[in-house]
Amino acid sequence: MKLTIGHLYPDLFNLYGDSGNVQCMKKRLEWRGIEAQVLPLCAGEDIDFGELDIVVWGGGADRGQALAREYLEQIGPDFKNYVEDGGVVLAVCGAFQLLGKYYKTGEGAEDIIKGLGILDIYTERCDERLVGNVVLESALVETPVVGFENHAGRTIIGDVTPFGKVLYGRGNTGDGGYEGVVYKNVIGTYLHGPLLPKNPQVCDWFLERALKNRYGEDAVLTELSDEAELLANRNMVERLGSEKRFQDSDCADGMSGRKKLSEVCR
Amino acid sequence: MRLRSRMAIWGGKLACALSRGLGKGNGSSLPGRVARRIDPQILSVMSGMVREKIIAVTGTNGKTTTTSLMAHVLRESGKKVVWNPMGANLMDGAVSSFVLAAKKSGRLDADYACIEVDEMASVRVFPQLKPDCVLVTNIFRDQLDRTCEVDITCGQIQKAMETVPEAKLITNCDDICSFTLAAGCRNPKLTFGIGESIADDMPAGTGESVFCPSCGCRLEYDFIHYGQLGSYHCPECGLKRPEPDMTVTEVVFEGGTYSFTLDGRRIISGAQAPYNIYNTLSVYTALLAVDGPRDGFEEAIKKFDYGNNRECAYQINGARVQLYLTKNPVGFQQKIFLIRRDPEPKDIVIQINDTVLDGEDVSWLWDVDFHYLHEASVASIVTVGTRGADMQVRLKYEDIASRLGRDVKETVEELTKRGSRNLYIITNYSGLYPTIKMLEDMQAADSMGKEGRDR
Repeated sequence: MKLTIGHLYPDLFNLYGDSGNVQCMKKRLEWRGIEAQVLPLCAGEDIDFGELDIVVWGGGADRGQALAREYLEQIGPDFKNYVEDGGVVLAVCGAFQLLGKYYKTGEGAEDIIKGLGILDIYTERCDERLVGNVVLESALVETPVVGFENHAGRTIIGDVTPFGKVLYGRGNTGDGGYEGVVYKNVIGTYLHGPLLPKNPQVCDWFLERALKNRYGEDAVLTELSDEAELLANRNMVERLGSEKRFQDSDCADGMSGRKKLSEVCR
Repeated sequence: MRLRSRMAIWGGKLACALSRGLGKGNGSSLPGRVARRIDPQILSVMSGMVREKIIAVTGTNGKTTTTSLMAHVLRESGKKVVWNPMGANLMDGAVSSFVLAAKKSGRLDADYACIEVDEMASVRVFPQLKPDCVLVTNIFRDQLDRTCEVDITCGQIQKAMETVPEAKLITNCDDICSFTLAAGCRNPKLTFGIGESIADDMPAGTGESVFCPSCGCRLEYDFIHYGQLGSYHCPECGLKRPEPDMTVTEVVFEGGTYSFTLDGRRIISGAQAPYNIYNTLSVYTALLAVDGPRDGFEEAIKKFDYGNNRECAYQINGARVQLYLTKNPVGFQQKIFLIRRDPEPKDIVIQINDTVLDGEDVSWLWDVDFHYLHEASVASIVTVGTRGADMQVRLKYEDIASRLGRDVKETVEELTKRGSRNLYIITNYSGLYPTIKMLEDMQAADSMGKEGRDR
């Protein structure tokens, strides 16, 4: 068996360790005897989404996002079809924002970066940057999800499910409600860390979907020993838990992460 | 001198004496904080007392080495120098170095000041420090949870430069990020760079900014030294690395150290790492910019310890223990290449913490190519620190086995007693000074024990 991982714009969106997500997927396939091919899809290259089993798209500096604009327009329709057909995508931070309708960075008309419109979300920048460790409870996996957020954007999500409920940290809108989105086989999130190595079950969520897409429902992932990963995960969950800065659970209820921006952006 | 300034100096000195007396901290920022509380203009007052020139050193990597190298060269030429040797580089640290150097009368007896300044603090420090010359070592990815993005760091330094329009700006023109930074400053400028390959055995990864800052097209490199440092040009708009005002040639790596020719002088240095060629070159360029003393530069360099008492080798239980500091991907990569150069079998201890000093986000570990450790004759790796478990995971995903240890001390004892003769300790910032102290104590205890046995 073989899966192909497309690493989207590693040259423009290479902020802070997000390539570790690709490395994590690759190794977890190889350790199971599944061949993993990683295709770096650099800016300006033609992309054949048909040959990709997984798309990984990382965070980018503002400059990188602006440079990517014209390339995004070219790949937009194919990318959208890929997602609608159940294609597997991990989009982190800047990529998460660009999968949405737009990212508004200021008041002027030129301050609106048009997104791919694949996800029913939009983002607006606030002055306060949200920086810090995050712990989520996600319906996708049993163990808590740990990561690190660093974003000025506040993302308002529409008719999509959040990736997780924030147990520690700020999340999409900064109010500690919800974080990220899940849509079909796409996860969009602000979490760096990188996300996957300390959350091996999330990594396997992607791999299993990609495997079933390619080889049918019978294809399953064999168990791996995740002792080291889960220890690193548990260390953070326990440490942040003992700091007693977990959000009160009732704080997030009733909003579904869909708060109006005027309420979160002072 | 205003009474208020004098009181600020006394207050700072007193705070230092008290904190040292109580054994709390090394007194490198508290005196500054106290002095500034008493007289907010104290830095401005004191920098005005420097007789000749003030040089500020900022940038991502090499600030502490460069600052102490500069101070060393100046002192060797008989100058009296104020500097911040402990790398305390925020506002309080800069103020402390002046306060502690001042006499009780409040007078400062200094020809030069060499002050390391944190990139993000430069905006607040420069207007008061009023440097004659600002040396930017390089701009790499650093603690992004604090500085957010490389572009933001550059923007801060540019803003700081605007507050001192007369100051000469010294930048590394092999670094496209520094090149861009300098292009946005109106200050008088001088550049340094290296046009020949300096480290064939250290493969260059791709770093920041592979795109042209002016037209957005992909940059092409004739060669890369490390990180994004190298000879670049843009095939579209013609932007290219300028010829540096000052350079080194005939770089030779022999017997573990570098020698090179700089402005007609043959420099035999104790530098073991290629980045220290840059640090040396940058110091010379800054001295040129302020017309500082350069006679005897060769002699001064010969005597300089590039480890700054920070990256030292120790003898413990019969083992050579080399300590390395690493704070960001480019720095860590260089340390891995240095370790790979050593053909002897070795054990490695990696300590990763995530305090505010280190950066709370450790994802940068994934920007380091650890697979070079496969070819570095490594017998074992132990990870420790508040993020030791993260480090272990990082290595696992390069198929490199490691185990999680309790702390550096216990691990060093265990490994050396089990017969390790060649040990490397890599730590990030918050672990540095405690580890130095601990290794010094272990070394002292070890040699005392030996003397006891010899008797």
